Amino acid sequence: MEIAKIFEDKEKNKIYGLLGNINISTNNANYSIVRECNFKETVKNYLNSKKDKQALKMVMLSDEYLDKKLFELTETETRIISLAKVLIENKDYIVLDYFEKGLNYKEKEIFKRLFKKLANEYNKTIIIFTNDLTFIWDISEELICVNESHVINANKNEYLKIINEVDKPEIVKFIDLMKEKNIKIEDYKNVLDLLKAIYRIKGD
Amino acid sequence: MNKLFNINNIDIYDINTTILINSKYKYREDAVNYINNNCEVFTRYSISNIFDIDNSVLEEYNLKELKNKKDLTKIDEIKLFLLNSLKTNKNVIVFFNILTYVDSEFKNKLINDLKNKNKTIINYTTEIKETLLLDYLIVIHNNEVIMEGNTKDVLKEEKIIKKLGFNMPFIIELSNGLKYYNIVDKLYYDNESLVNDLWK
Repeated sequence: MEIAKIFEDKEKNKIYGLLGNINISTNNANYSIVRECNFKETVKNYLNSKKDKQALKMVMLSDEYLDKKLFELTETETRIISLAKVLIENKDYIVLDYFEKGLNYKEKEIFKRLFKKLANEYNKTIIIFTNDLTFIWDISEELICVNESHVINANKNEYLKIINEVDKPEIVKFIDLMKEKNIKIEDYKNVLDLLKAIYRIKGD
Repeated sequence: MNKLFNINNIDIYDINTTILINSKYKYREDAVNYINNNCEVFTRYSISNIFDIDNSVLEEYNLKELKNKKDLTKIDEIKLFLLNSLKTNKNVIVFFNILTYVDSEFKNKLINDLKNKNKTIINYTTEIKETLLLDYLIVIHNNEVIMEGNTKDVLKEEKIIKKLGFNMPFIIELSNGLKYYNIVDKLYYDNESLVNDLWK
């Protein structure tokens, strides 16, 4: 699916979560897609820019990576290198294609901060394409759900009812189970708030 | 436990094991060791586009529509590829950071079906919640074993796990908090059990 079509009427400089079992692509010159990359020589050759060290620093990789070849990298590292390349390209829209896969919690949090910085300080529009709602739960300003042919939902409150392929955050699954037991509970987004609510309910 | 193989000086035993790694851990060196160990390895690199999955299996996994789908998505391909683990004659199934691509429902069903077939499952992952799927846990950092043992025991080492860059699985974090406030008296490892014990 041409990703630019989905966003042609959307506000810029925001972070979007994009959900759906589709393959994404683009021919639009304003868009860069971050995904596993292939290159024959070194990372330095692949990045091919005087800003290579600066870009690596932004994605939390050391200068040592410049001399590495593809076979020396993990699949996750190739996506991070691809992000460095995209930062050098400096286009308005950055699309992350299952970028978070293979990152641990701390790494995910670091990259989320980078995405916020790119949207807020560098005027980028960040589109995080994933099937992991947990990853985009707290940083996306708008969620967009798509199927093979069209956008089926752009309402953050209704997405869970519509899309099946997405893994709900564990806290949402837990609250759903509470609701099945007819417990009145709000849709909390973090464990501490949920914990306090359960404490209050059990204390009543 | 019988020793299955050794990778990077780490012994892997014939028991369902999660190997918790970070994004810099490479499987390629390990892969050499699998060859003579009756293992089938599933990685993102080894995906073929030839999928010959029985209709009954596709139906069981709610994937029947993929049989005639023209343009499979990345996730469709990974799911079909993973279903091959149910067909293999090998006794040991090694997943290398690939289960992270599929939803929990698919993942849980696949792991349960493999357990029912008495396969030994070795799952390398960066996702802490996948550790709850298997009984034994090895935590690796910079190619060294930091902790290993029964999954539930290792997950009690919250400080070390967090220091290594992982968060705690949601259910453990929540039940730990509830235990602190004396609302429950033990840790829980699945949502249903906790909700059912809180509201009988």
